[in-house]
Parts: sequence; C-alpha cells; structure tokens
Amino acid sequence: MGKKTLLLLVVLGLIISAMPVLAGGAQEDNSDSRLKVALILPGKIDDVSWNQAMYDGMKTVEEMYADKIAVTYVEEVYEVADIEPAIRDFAAEGFDLIFGHGFQFMEPIIKVAEDFPDTCFALGTGFKTGKNTAVYDVTLGEGGYLMGILAGLLTETNKIGVVGGADVSEIYRGHEAYKMAAKSVNPKIQIQELYTGDWRDAATAKDGATGMYDSGVDIIWHSGDGIGLGVVNAAKTENKLAMGNVVDQNVLAPNNIISGIQYNWAPVIKNIIDDIINDNFMNRDDKYYWLTVANEGVQVTPFHSFESQISDEVVKTLQDAVTGISNGTIEVPHFQK
Amino acid sequence: MSNNLYIDFMISLLAGTIRISIPILLPALGQIYTQRSGILNLGVEGIMIIGALSGFVGAFFTGSLWFGVFSAVVAGLLFSLIMGFLSITIKANQVIAGTALTILGTSLASFLYRVIFGIRKLPPIIDSFPSLNFLGLSKIPVIGPIFFNHNILVYLALFLVFFTWFVLEKTTFGLKVKAVGEFPRAADSKGIRVGLIRYICVAIGGMYAGLGGAFMSIGYMDTYMDHMIAGRGFIAVSVVIFSRWDPKRALFAALLFGGANVLQMRLQSIGVNIPNQFLLALPYVLTILVLVGVSKKVAFPSAFTIPYSRNSK
Repeated sequence: MGKKTLLLLVVLGLIISAMPVLAGGAQEDNSDSRLKVALILPGKIDDVSWNQAMYDGMKTVEEMYADKIAVTYVEEVYEVADIEPAIRDFAAEGFDLIFGHGFQFMEPIIKVAEDFPDTCFALGTGFKTGKNTAVYDVTLGEGGYLMGILAGLLTETNKIGVVGGADVSEIYRGHEAYKMAAKSVNPKIQIQELYTGDWRDAATAKDGATGMYDSGVDIIWHSGDGIGLGVVNAAKTENKLAMGNVVDQNVLAPNNIISGIQYNWAPVIKNIIDDIINDNFMNRDDKYYWLTVANEGVQVTPFHSFESQISDEVVKTLQDAVTGISNGTIEVPHFQK
Repeated sequence: MSNNLYIDFMISLLAGTIRISIPILLPALGQIYTQRSGILNLGVEGIMIIGALSGFVGAFFTGSLWFGVFSAVVAGLLFSLIMGFLSITIKANQVIAGTALTILGTSLASFLYRVIFGIRKLPPIIDSFPSLNFLGLSKIPVIGPIFFNHNILVYLALFLVFFTWFVLEKTTFGLKVKAVGEFPRAADSKGIRVGLIRYICVAIGGMYAGLGGAFMSIGYMDTYMDHMIAGRGFIAVSVVIFSRWDPKRALFAALLFGGANVLQMRLQSIGVNIPNQFLLALPYVLTILVLVGVSKKVAFPSAFTIPYSRNSK
C-alpha cells in the first residue's frame, strides 16, 4: 500500500509541476505602491482568439501604466472547480484588482467578492454585479450587425451561416444582430445557425461548418474562441469564405478569411484602472464597462488580399453602418430572450 | 425539402458521420484488447492528447505525416506503459490510476507544446492527410462523396476493425487475452504469463489511442490544440462496453454516436424548430438509451479491474 501511495504521489507531483502556470511580474515587495492586478485567463495567451485579445490589451495598458500597475497573468483556468480557488488565492495574497476573463467566472467572483470587500473584481461578460465587482463586456450585437451586412452583401448563393459556442448573453445578441442585418441588406437570404455547446471542441465545429458549406452556404461568421478555429479550418479545407472574431484571423487562412471583428480591450481595461485609482470603482452606479464600435473597441478587420474584390458599394455600406452605430443613428437592438 | 436537397443533406450527414466516428472508433478498438485482458484504462483521453501532440510534432519537424503517425503510436505505447505499471506491477486501483493518467496527459501535452513551440502569434500548421479519391471513385454520385472521399487514416481505422476481430477471435494470442481476462489463475496454471499479456494489451490500447489522437491533429485538423480530444477518449471507453467487446459492434456504436452528433448539428443548422439545448443533448440521450437497452446483456470479463497475484486467493 505504501508503495502505491508513494507512486500516486509522484504522479500527482508530476501533474502539479506540469500545470502551465505563467507567473511573471508578481511583486512581493511591500514598498511597491503600484496597483496589484491579476488577470486570470481560461485559455492560452496565444490562442488567436478570446484570451490573446485580452492579454494583448492588458499588455498595452501595462506598458502605458508601468508606474501605476503591476500585472500577474495566469493561463488556462477553465474548469469551474479551479476558478474559485484561483480567485481566492489572488484575493488572499492582497491583489487590488482581479480580472476573471469569461462568463464562467461570474458565480465564483460574486462569491469571493463578498469575502474580500476591499478587493476589486472585474468579470469578462456576465450579468451579476456587487459593490466591489464590475462587468466588462463587448457589444457583440454591434459586431454581429456589421458582419451580417458584409455576409448579406457578399454571398453569391444567398445562403450564409453563423457558428457559436453556447447560446449565452453577448454571443446570442451577436447572432441575432447578424441575422437581422443580413436580412436587412438581402431579403432573399437564408441563414443557418449552429451552437456547438462548448467553446473548445474545434473538430466538432469544423464538421458543423463543413455541413453548412455542403448545403450551399458560401460565407460563415463565427462568434469566437477555440471552436472558431474549427470554422476557419473548415473554410480552408472546403476553400470557402469565413469571417473571424476577436482577433484578426486572416493569418490563419489568408485565402479564406475575408474579414472579421477584432476586439481592442485596452480602453476598457484603462477605464477600470483609472476608476480604481480615482476611487470611483466601488461607488459608481453603472457597473458595466462596454467595448463598443464607438470607442473603437470593436473593429472590422482589414480585407487583406480580398481588398480588390470588394466593391466600393459594399465598402461604403459597411462604412455607413460603422459611422451610424458610432454616432447613434443606427441602434442595434439589445436582443433579449 | 425538395428531393435534391434531401439527397445533399443525407450525403453531408453520412460523410460527416464517418469522419466524426473515427477518433472514437480507433481508441475503442484498442481498449477492446485492454479490457478483454481485464484492465479498465480510463487514461485513454490522456493518451490520445499525448498522441495528438506527438503526431503533430513528428509531422511538423520532419515534414512527413507518416513519421507523425509513427511518433503518435510510439508515444501512445510508452505513455500507456505508465498505466500498465500502475495497474499490473503495483496493482493500484485502476479507476484512480486511469483518471490520474488523463490529468497527467492533458497537462503534460499542454506544457510540452509551450516548451517546444513557445508563445507565438501564429500557430504552427502542417498540411494534413489529403482525401483520397480512388482513381475517380469519389466522383460517383452519392456513394462517392460518402465513402470514397476520406483520408487514408479513415480506411486504416476501418481495416483495424477487421484486424482487431481477427487477432482476438482467430489467433492464439487472442485466446490468451480472453483467458487472462476471464480466469487469470487458470491461464497462469497453463503457463500463460498473465502480467505480460496484460502489459501487451495495455500497450496495444495505447498505440490505438495514440493513432486516434494523431487522427485529430494531423488527419482531421492541421494543428495541435489543447483540449482537441474533448472527451472522445471517455466516449470510446463507453463505446467498448456498449459494444460488448466486439470490434464490429464497436464500429456501429461509434457510428451511432458520431451520427447522432452530426445529425443534431445539421438539424440545428437548417433551423428545425427545436431548442438547440435539446438537440445538443441528443447524442448523450441516445447513448444512455442504448446503454440501458444492452446493459442486461453485458457480461464483463470475470477478472475485470481485478489485479492478478499468484499469492492471493
């Protein structure tokens, strides 16, 4: 029995040592007056998607505010069972601000925030807030609207598709706005929609997208994360068009990714940090920080090699929509279920 | 739906079913050997992700897809030996050992990928196995796109169904495997080395799982991603029980699960009026129903999960 226990301990030790935790930049020095910020990411910082965009945004702010903040990053905290201990650890270590970058961080953040009333928490998408927590989110409805216009105008078969991970909050609003906008520019359009039910199973998403292409769809927008890479891969294999989300994914398939949406989180992160420094975080009424088309947090990515194939008319319609959303003449409905 | 659309829908559905079933079928076939010899290996998921990584690394650095396949099979074999050592040599609890192996494999693959490739803006990719077209057979209407438009690993997997059946049913090695799983003491008294046979069966299971992992990274996708196995290893374990350790039935079970998954996606896409949450549950509901249906007939190998020792009674 002793032998077995020992061996399991060795295996366990190996597992722990293999945990891909990146802990850089943590300052243990008490004389450091900078704000201690922790960013907990559910995936990898080079996933060409959700996590990379946030990491890049945080890096930008960190450089800008080198004398004001010190940031610690943790990757791949995905399972709900791991999230609460991770947040609690940072809070107990005296971090001032903790970012949980994803919908699944909502319940743990609300729970831990009650136990650490002096610590600030920022939740990436969600709908629950407390005194010391806030939500930062992206108006994916606006992004989806722009993608819908593009897809509706660019399709030759009048069949377009949209693939998402799960039918939740902003993803749902992005999809609904996409469908609405596509119908508004192309009344004959047929739209296929698919939720794969998770964020990471790229192979399943690839097959779902392949099925859409099989049935005559010629352009698909995906609403992001690991499954989005499956859609990109399907476009490449089938040699059809797709549009990316979160970061400019043209690099993944230069002949197939015609455009997409990219997020620039930096302005929102900067807002949150400014509010904390100016003591305006806990006492504000509006607990939501939005990334929008107007603040250039949500942008349409360049057409790259497709530049010459896009007619001036399409470019103008898209540009008008961007301007319209920015100055408020176009209001994308806040879709509710 | 008009007739033509209906045919296109069915072609897409069946071709997708075959593609999606293969990464479940391959590890399931391997686990038939392992489980028949009396070992439950819940580490399949971890072995598959190690296989996916090794296959990709092998193919990426040599430029040869077949070397990638070879690396994945070898890595699967070596990694599964940990399970062999834990469950056979030191007779640890197989459920715990297997679960630990899955956690180890998942974390180790993620860690090694970062060590090998570092942090990069652009993920490394390879050209994955192309579809064969069998001298134009893929152009035959309906049949072509369903059966003759897959890559070579798909046909290799189908061949392995026959091969696995042959080895287990028609060779003395197969007989030894079953003897060891059913009545290890009797096998031992006949001079069959119980531990060795079990080690071999665990290793074969590891090789098949490694191949299944490689199918994901260099056969179906063209890169490695963490979590790309996404539970297929565990589904494979249930497919083995569901098929009552028979390779032919394992093929049907894998097709059934894959088919249900593809069907729910196609139905969602064409916009049937059922909430997507119900459709997403379809493959799992189906699995539970079939498991309930066959559970009365399932006869586990008598020595299943029981470590063998000459000294104990």
